[in-house]
Amino acid sequence: MFLAVKEILHEKLRYSLIISMFVLIGYLIFILTGLAQGLAGQNTEVLDTWGARSILLNKDSNTNISQSMITNDQYKNINMNSKDASVAQMGVVVKSKDRSQVSGSFMGIKTDEFIYKDLKITEGKKSIKNKDVVVDSSYKNNGYKIGDKIKFNSSKTEFKIVGFTENAKLNIAPIIYGSTDNWSTLRGMGNTVVASAVISKNDKVKFSSDQLKSYPIGQFINKLPGYSAQVATFTFMIAFLMVISLIVITVFLYILTIQKLPNYAVLRAQGVPASILVKTTIYQSLILVIVGLLVAVILTAITGLLIPASVPIFFDVKMLSLVSLGIVLTSLLGSLIPVRTILKIDPVSIL
Amino acid sequence: MTAIKLTNINKYFGSGTSKVHVLTDINFSAERGELIVVIGPSGSGKSTFLTIAGGLLTPSSGQVEIEGKSVGNLSDSQRDALRLNNIGFILQKYNLVPYLTVSEQFELVDKIKKDNNFSKDNLLDLLKKLGIEKYVNKYPNELSGGQNQRVAIARALYANPDIVLADEPTASLDSEKVIEVGSLLKDLAVEQNKAIIIVTHDQRLMEFADKTYEIMDGKISLK
Repeated sequence: MFLAVKEILHEKLRYSLIISMFVLIGYLIFILTGLAQGLAGQNTEVLDTWGARSILLNKDSNTNISQSMITNDQYKNINMNSKDASVAQMGVVVKSKDRSQVSGSFMGIKTDEFIYKDLKITEGKKSIKNKDVVVDSSYKNNGYKIGDKIKFNSSKTEFKIVGFTENAKLNIAPIIYGSTDNWSTLRGMGNTVVASAVISKNDKVKFSSDQLKSYPIGQFINKLPGYSAQVATFTFMIAFLMVISLIVITVFLYILTIQKLPNYAVLRAQGVPASILVKTTIYQSLILVIVGLLVAVILTAITGLLIPASVPIFFDVKMLSLVSLGIVLTSLLGSLIPVRTILKIDPVSIL
Repeated sequence: MTAIKLTNINKYFGSGTSKVHVLTDINFSAERGELIVVIGPSGSGKSTFLTIAGGLLTPSSGQVEIEGKSVGNLSDSQRDALRLNNIGFILQKYNLVPYLTVSEQFELVDKIKKDNNFSKDNLLDLLKKLGIEKYVNKYPNELSGGQNQRVAIARALYANPDIVLADEPTASLDSEKVIEVGSLLKDLAVEQNKAIIIVTHDQRLMEFADKTYEIMDGKISLK
């Protein structure tokens, strides 16, 4: 540690430049991870809010809630219990006078089922009777307030926002909770179709119909439109950045080690064990990466404070810690080639 | 007491038609309390002799004993420990770690070799004798070649080795400093019962030698 720290302190400019590389890489990885989690979270956050573990859909819906229709006859064959709740979903565009239009997802629910019962209101009151709706708090970013009268698409029916709730987005669309009767009216399909899906806190919904199918919630999430492609894209970007950081630290440490070989050869001749020089290289690698990551964390925190609320970014300390650990392990891996060079130093070469 | 003993040492480099016989039937011993100077022209095998005597290089044949231990029987880590604890090397260049101040060079020795190093008072005396006590906070690149060489000598002696092996230790020094360094090494040999072996071109050091050897075409002879 002594040699590692002394060299870094003596060669401030050189090591500051190297650390700045790790700051940029770390910062980029943190921001991408935050965006990946933010976007993924907006796809699935309402499922987490509900505590959903499985979902029952029409067998021919391609695991898509928007394309699932559960008829009255099918619904009668579902053995609903207190951990099951039906939802009737449709995509809508929310409009209001003097407000911008916002795409959303109307979710018809029943007051005697767990989704309504568990619904936590952050502002206003919990009500879906008559034309009352409770909406996701993100509508506030577009100027919507309690008491606002809203319409959906070209429907003339006017609804009233009576409450806001948090963490209510599905497939990025903010949810508008209303009654299933209102959903039927908006949908204009009469009473034949009564729901889109049944959400369950159990591993499986019990039913007896060959037209329905229960899916684990993970399988449903993976089939959300665009979700898998988006997660895969971010994962690849983060993985490539990890590989780049591995290459960067390997190259820098290798060059630095090559420059120090004559001095290391003398130290070896003087009886300094190779293990001390190896530890010095590993400590240097760790110091550079950890200092770089700490600065990157500070920059990320500042970014998190300044970034507009509309940007879907979420910094999960646990995930960022895991990513940081990954980068630290990468740096250890990157020090292996320089370490190999040190182990092969021939002290005689200096004489 | 015999500090270093070389018996029938031969060393070859290369193979086939390019095989070179660098050292031929070297028999040599250095006792504690002796200062030995080994002279010879460039390419005569002086440095190879020194690396074999210091346990850095393995001879093609023959036996090396340092402080009574046969070097050929030691593992790499045991050789490291032998060099660290018993031998002080003074080399022509790269002796000092460039990013450590003079005082930190000694601190590094303390970090690696915990026992039997010079005390602070002894170090200060040594630095005064070498005329470098005012440079303790300087980095090697802030010192002249001669000052660096004297710091390297102090660094090698600081670990209090039983044997000092020096390769051209006075190459960068003026005559006055050569006399000071020669006297210092001679005093160390006599007063602290150390074996000092100097490989050099510098004839000025011969006046301090108890024995002078000459290496010529790989063969050693007492002058």
